[in-house]
Amino acid sequence: MNYSETLIDHFRNPRNAGMMRDPDGIGEETFDGCGDLARFYLKVVDGRVADVRFQTYGCGPTIAASSAGTELATGRSVSDLLTLSERDVAAAVDGLPAERLHAAQVVAGAIRAAARDFLSRRSAPSGMKQHV
Amino acid sequence: MNGRVYLDHNASTQVHPEVVAAMLPYFGERFGNPSSVHSFGREAREGVEIAREQITNFLRVSKDEVVFTSGGTESDNLAIKGVAGARGAGHIITSPIEHHAVLRTCQVLETQGFAVTYLPVDGDGLVNPDDVRRAIRPDTILITIMHANSEVGTIQPVDTIGAVARERGIPFHVDGVQTFGKVPIDLDGFGIDLLSFSSHKIYGPKGVAGLYIRKGTKMVSVQHGGEHERRRRAGTENVPGIVGFGKAAELRAREMEAEATRLTALRNRLWDGISARVADVRLNGHPTRRLPGTLNLCFRHVESESIVLGLDLKGVAVSAGSACTSGNVEPSYVLVAMGVPLDWAMGSVRATLGRLNTDADIDYVLEVLPPLVERIRSLSPAAVS
Repeated sequence: MNYSETLIDHFRNPRNAGMMRDPDGIGEETFDGCGDLARFYLKVVDGRVADVRFQTYGCGPTIAASSAGTELATGRSVSDLLTLSERDVAAAVDGLPAERLHAAQVVAGAIRAAARDFLSRRSAPSGMKQHV
Repeated sequence: MNGRVYLDHNASTQVHPEVVAAMLPYFGERFGNPSSVHSFGREAREGVEIAREQITNFLRVSKDEVVFTSGGTESDNLAIKGVAGARGAGHIITSPIEHHAVLRTCQVLETQGFAVTYLPVDGDGLVNPDDVRRAIRPDTILITIMHANSEVGTIQPVDTIGAVARERGIPFHVDGVQTFGKVPIDLDGFGIDLLSFSSHKIYGPKGVAGLYIRKGTKMVSVQHGGEHERRRRAGTENVPGIVGFGKAAELRAREMEAEATRLTALRNRLWDGISARVADVRLNGHPTRRLPGTLNLCFRHVESESIVLGLDLKGVAVSAGSACTSGNVEPSYVLVAMGVPLDWAMGSVRATLGRLNTDADIDYVLEVLPPLVERIRSLSPAAVS
């Protein structure tokens, strides 16, 4: 399998790996075909992503795409992330082989889910923790 | 350790330098077609027949009992379809952990009206000979059970199964691709009527293999054309390949026993080192009835491909038990048949050792593998079911 240098670099040195305490949004996505699972945590300040963390179970490309996904999300507005596509994630690792596109799918799905989670928490009745 | 460490010898092996040297003249001045009557043809024929002798000496069989083919897959196809074709109908007994060359051939025969029984295997990957006995029907025409499994290395009790087959007068085919030249094969003692065996697993070239056919076994040919191989396998012989195969077999006769002892020790040292350094790891396959150089492990909560990629980046070549195609990861069908739980089976990695591996290779793997597994696990959500 031929992977890009960017992908290999993210696999070797994953950015922003690990869990986050008291996140403002959490999102998860699994890929049924292979059991890959990505979980993203967001810290949001003034509607923008200030910090991101990921935890991922999966093959090399899924781990690399998770790392690249954290860089994509950092600094973006949460509403932007609602439309993050698998193409955006695949581009962030300089492309994926056709049979590994699920890596981008699971990461984009998890980031979108984290963004939705943040927005639903914000609109939730008082008593829920809020960071605005 | 010289730069890269190759631990995938059940997939293929590097051709032995003496084998390359033996083959070279047959690309050059001895290029003739062995079926030709002139001196060029006779020289090529001589090369093929010397090789046949080297192989039949090694197997202790007569020269007309070995047919050269293009690979283990063809040998398996010829054995199974050859017997099935001679009988026209009937029942075949096999196991669910056979190589795809056997399994898919049996599946095709099922579509043509043959019945096939797939016997279960136990947690170590062993077929129970009593199950074979119980599965036999009046119309059973063939029993085909592999000698050793390529993924986990478990060595089947082919001698006991062969005794059952012989007692009932049923032809017994053994896929010996992973054992030929690695562990002793006693064709008469084991009661084997057909044996598939291959060149590139024993430091010979790719594209050449053999099928042993015991005298008197009723077969039809599968591929039609000229009169080659006593009309059992049409097609001009792969002369350089066959010459190399013969040489490789001759070398194995000299080196096999010592090599088996050495590889077993290296493999055990690798397992001891990994199990001492890494938590949540299990050994797959039979603890002792196993190919000398084969070590199949499962790392729980790690996907095997990430380990294979991580080791590849460190110059270590191993193979993944689970295969990902178009985003669909199938756990190894062998591990599934052995009852290995899914969360373990997804993290299976196979290391298979060979003649050029050294203690330094094992030291290097023990240095790079444990931190790699730890790193990949640290990225993973704590509980994944």
